[in-house]
Amino acid sequence: MKTETIRVTRRFDASAERVFDAWLDPERAAKFLFAMPGGRIVRAEIDARVGGSYCFVDRRDGDDVEHTGTYLEIDRPRRLVFDFLVPKYSTVATRVTVEIAPLGTGCELTLTHDGVAPDYSIRTEAGWNAMLEGLASEASIVSA
Amino acid sequence: MRLIAAQSPLDAALVALADPTRRAILRRLTKGEASVTEIAAPFALSLNAVSKHIRLLERAQLVERRRSGREHLLSFNPSPLDDVAGWIEAQRAVWTARLDALDAMLTAENRARARTQTKKGRYR
Repeated sequence: MKTETIRVTRRFDASAERVFDAWLDPERAAKFLFAMPGGRIVRAEIDARVGGSYCFVDRRDGDDVEHTGTYLEIDRPRRLVFDFLVPKYSTVATRVTVEIAPLGTGCELTLTHDGVAPDYSIRTEAGWNAMLEGLASEASIVSA
Repeated sequence: MRLIAAQSPLDAALVALADPTRRAILRRLTKGEASVTEIAAPFALSLNAVSKHIRLLERAQLVERRRSGREHLLSFNPSPLDDVAGWIEAQRAVWTARLDALDAMLTAENRARARTQTKKGRYR
C-alpha cells in the first residue's frame, strides 16, 4: 500500500573499485557506514565473503548498539548485497543493495534498502535507532 | 506475549501496515465505507479473525468506526500514513548522511594521497 523501499543515488569522484572497497574494509567502513552523530564505532568486524557476516558496534551515551548482518552478494566493484539487523531493536533483518556504475572519472552509487517500513519504527529523533519489537507480539495478538 | 504499552502512533501504524490482509482491508476501505461483514467476505478467514485485524487497524487510527442502526460501518483514515512517510524520509536522510560521510572520507583520502605524492616529488 505504501513503498517500503528507500533508494538513494550518489556520485563520487573516485573509482568504482575504491568506493566498493570502502564498504568491506572495516577501518574505512567504520568512518561512514554505521557511524552516527553523537556516537562512535567501538568495534568493526567484516568477514568479506558471501555468507560471511559483519558486526559494527556503535557507542552512544555509554550505550552499545550492535549492527549486524550477512553478505549475500559480493560482485566487485558493481554490486554488494547484505542483510542488516539491529538485534537490540528488531528481530527482522532488512536488505541493503549497493550498486556502483562507473561514470566519467568517478562513479555513481545507488543504494536500495528494502523492507524498511514494516520492520522498524521510530523511537528517537535520529529514527535509525529505533525499531519495532512488535512484529512477534503483533502476530500473537492476531492469532490469540 | 503482550504488546508493549508505550507504543507510539507510528509504531501502531507500522505494525498495522506490516500485514497483507490488513493492507487489503485498507485498500477495500479506500473505495468507501463498508461493514465488517462486507470486508470479511473476500477473505478465507473467520469473521473473528477479520475483526482482530480491524481492531489493530483501529488502534493505529487507520480505520474509523461508526454505527448506523445495527451495523458498524468502517472507513479509512489516511492521516497516520503521513507519519509512516515521515519515518521513511528519516531513513532516507540517514542513508544520505552516510553517503555524505563516505564522500568526505574519499575526498580526505584524495587529499592525503596528493600530499604524499607531492612530498615524494612525484607529479600527482
